[in-house]
Amino acid sequence: MSLPSRVAHAVAPLAIVLSMAVGGCTRSSTASPYFGNATPPDGQHLRYISGAEPETLDPQLTTGQPEARIILALFDGLVEFDPRTAQPIPGLASRWDVNEDNTVFTFHLREGLQWSDGTPLTADEVAWSIRRGLTPALAARAAYLAYDIVHAQDFNEGRVFLQDPSTGAYLLQPDAADAVADGPDAIAQRLSLPSDAAARTTALATLGLSRAQHWRAVPVTAADVGIETPDARTVRFRLRAPTPYFPGLVGHQFFRPAPRRVIERYGDAWLQPGRAVTSGAFVLSAWRPYDAVVVTRNPRYWDAATVRLDTITFFAVEDQTTMMNLYKAGDVDATFNHTVPASWISHVRQFRDYQDAPEAAMEYLAFNTKRAPTDDVRVRRALNLAVDKDALARRRRVAKASTTMVPDGIFPGYAVPAGARFNPEAARRLLADAGYRDANGAFSPAAFPAADVELTYNTTESNKATAEFVQAQWKANLGITVALRNMEFKTFLQTRAALDYKGLARAGWVGDFMDPFTFLSLFALDGGDNGTGWTSSAFTDLLARANRDPNPERRNALLADAERLMLDAQPVLPLYASGTNWVKKPYVSGMYANPVTLHPWKFVWIEHDPAKWDTVTH
Amino acid sequence: MWRFVLRRLLVSVPTVLVVVSLTWGLVRLAPGNFYSGEKKLPAAIERNIREKYGLDRPWYVQYGRMLAQTARGDFGASLKYPGTTVNEILRAALPVSATIGLCAYLLALVVGVTLGTLAALRQNSRTDYLTMAAAMIGLSIPNFVLGPSLVLVFALTWHWLPPARWAGVDRHLILPVLTLSAVYMAYIARLTRSGMLEVLRSNYIRTARAKGLSERAIVIRHALRGGLLPVLSFSGPALAFLITGTVVVERVFALPGLGNYFINANLNRDEPLILGIVAFISVVVLAFNLLVDVIYAYVDPRIRY
Repeated sequence: MSLPSRVAHAVAPLAIVLSMAVGGCTRSSTASPYFGNATPPDGQHLRYISGAEPETLDPQLTTGQPEARIILALFDGLVEFDPRTAQPIPGLASRWDVNEDNTVFTFHLREGLQWSDGTPLTADEVAWSIRRGLTPALAARAAYLAYDIVHAQDFNEGRVFLQDPSTGAYLLQPDAADAVADGPDAIAQRLSLPSDAAARTTALATLGLSRAQHWRAVPVTAADVGIETPDARTVRFRLRAPTPYFPGLVGHQFFRPAPRRVIERYGDAWLQPGRAVTSGAFVLSAWRPYDAVVVTRNPRYWDAATVRLDTITFFAVEDQTTMMNLYKAGDVDATFNHTVPASWISHVRQFRDYQDAPEAAMEYLAFNTKRAPTDDVRVRRALNLAVDKDALARRRRVAKASTTMVPDGIFPGYAVPAGARFNPEAARRLLADAGYRDANGAFSPAAFPAADVELTYNTTESNKATAEFVQAQWKANLGITVALRNMEFKTFLQTRAALDYKGLARAGWVGDFMDPFTFLSLFALDGGDNGTGWTSSAFTDLLARANRDPNPERRNALLADAERLMLDAQPVLPLYASGTNWVKKPYVSGMYANPVTLHPWKFVWIEHDPAKWDTVTH
Repeated sequence: MWRFVLRRLLVSVPTVLVVVSLTWGLVRLAPGNFYSGEKKLPAAIERNIREKYGLDRPWYVQYGRMLAQTARGDFGASLKYPGTTVNEILRAALPVSATIGLCAYLLALVVGVTLGTLAALRQNSRTDYLTMAAAMIGLSIPNFVLGPSLVLVFALTWHWLPPARWAGVDRHLILPVLTLSAVYMAYIARLTRSGMLEVLRSNYIRTARAKGLSERAIVIRHALRGGLLPVLSFSGPALAFLITGTVVVERVFALPGLGNYFINANLNRDEPLILGIVAFISVVVLAFNLLVDVIYAYVDPRIRY
């Protein structure tokens, strides 16, 4: 081959590359309803992209989703997540009961539970693991998740009890019932105070308990944390306030038991293949950093009969385009959430691979209810009615329009109240009622003090796009022009919390746990993440009554009443619930687009028969 | 000669110390912490973490501890990956980066020197223009464009090669190596061409021609030795950077190499890992530069230490 023709050959692929880079993304293969290669792999081997390299797989030490996705395969919780709804279903515990005011939860472990090395898994180990997670020296970032348990926060923060040196009696909380002599009830009533002597003196003075100032300070210990194990198969949690959603919290990896003997023997390095002992459907068989974690079936798993996969490979991949390339080529079978790049979405969503369902995350605008003109509920309602949220959701692509604060359709048993729909006509009438009208009594944009309303948001491209959309809606539907204002994130948070903004501020909330309460409790307190200045004792009472009610139906009804009350006062302008955004091959069965995108792997399998492929997953 | 090497080695020690100290200071100046995330941590939990990692100690204590660790070559456990030490990470990631880097370098060297020499021998011919045009294109296409484009053609359209991932030394290597070597290939071709052009006009080549040596012997035995000197001095740092990891190629092809760790260590403010990798890279750069200088002495008769 002569040299010029060699060079020509070298340049030829480049020309192809460039022409395909331009035209490649828009071509759609109409022949197949699936994105790329849909040939199932041999056997029961799932290849899943789980996100960033896991920090560790130690249940108590991780906080992130990339770790949670793998931990779900290795460690079982007292409860497991339902594969469709992410609500708690029985796990290591076959059942649980609760007392009459949702403050004591008792979990009953299954019979004959064992670790993957054959040693028994007992209630003591469950309690030990959670206490371990709360130990200050472990410095677990997720420890706050267990703060609902009596004295858990006190132990984690290194606080102290005070003991009367003469009688040995402990200082009790001011509202404690008659002193109980001994036992967990007595410990639960003890008052905890800062370990720092000066701070303690101040705290005592505030409580009018200065008499105890010179009592002996006794550090709160792991044993004081409100977890009891009456027998080898029972774990009881005492909570400091009614927490009906506690079983849902317990599914988090922080509460999943870790093998005590192995950790005591190997310390930080216990999570290596060959050492790690697990309680879940799979055992760790390989961990290649920045490449893959491989888990294989655990024959000693209590529910081994349900497990169908033999192997799962969790790939650590960070670049979204690379993920899509691997997926399209058929080298991986599914990806984690928010993995389809923005520029691919309109192409990928036409295939059945695309997984799109509402998430436990709400994007909304907060009204400053302490400052005119948005201190008037009619103005707040009007501004809400004048935004076409369906159009916004279509533009955002990965979003479900919302008229309520709690995302619709993700909390089973919770019926979201009907929110106000897009109605510019009603909006103009309300504004006219509020006094912004001309001589004929009709709404007049000129009368509206638009200069006193701004839309403040923290600087990101996506927030800017949403703000501009809302601004254009008000311009088109009401004829008023509201100024946009952007701020650096930390400044913005401060401004919003202090109600230092005019009119409206952007807000978003990702549910801390799978219960409507996580969205409603924002407005139970003035300050903090509330950001609106609105709260009401009727609203707070409804929430408190709901949380004390052990009957889930009555509780959901009370929560819905609270939400209705809040929506009537309109301290917020709901925009949209985020949607999931990931892909899975049609042959991956038992894996659903649930609101938290965590999959209990024991329910997942590879279906080799195309006739049984589940094409509709939610 | 040996005194030269010894002196260079001695100078390397303070160089590495300065590099590591500056890095340590810069990490501390950067906002945020390895434990800060989207949700703000309760103050008590933050305090627990700071106590656990000694971040509550005075800066000189922390600095001293860091220097002692650097001197021992043991950077301790990573902050982000608490079960893993920095040295374990280096041991796992280096072979990946080194394999890809070395392959890319060798490919670049063979193709670049061949094309550059041909272009120089037929200066201002069509061969020359085409080679240099190709080199120019190679230099101008960034690897984050070249990599995905190669994947699109060879993996997703023709299904010849896998789109990404590491599987040891096999076909998975072809696309990343091609992507990584393109720029170096182009650069080496241009360096070779200009080096050769200069040498081919020099007196000793004219002497060789006058002696009646064959053109082949002149080019291979005499001209290349001098003409490749620019390539040699380019190779030291190039090789050092190629084998210590290349962020873009590792991300595009999801390879578990050092570059990925380095960029993430910085984003995560994972101080021990950052320092470990920086120290390692500076040692490799110094070593390769020294090696190149030593080789110079053998190749270029004008240089003696």
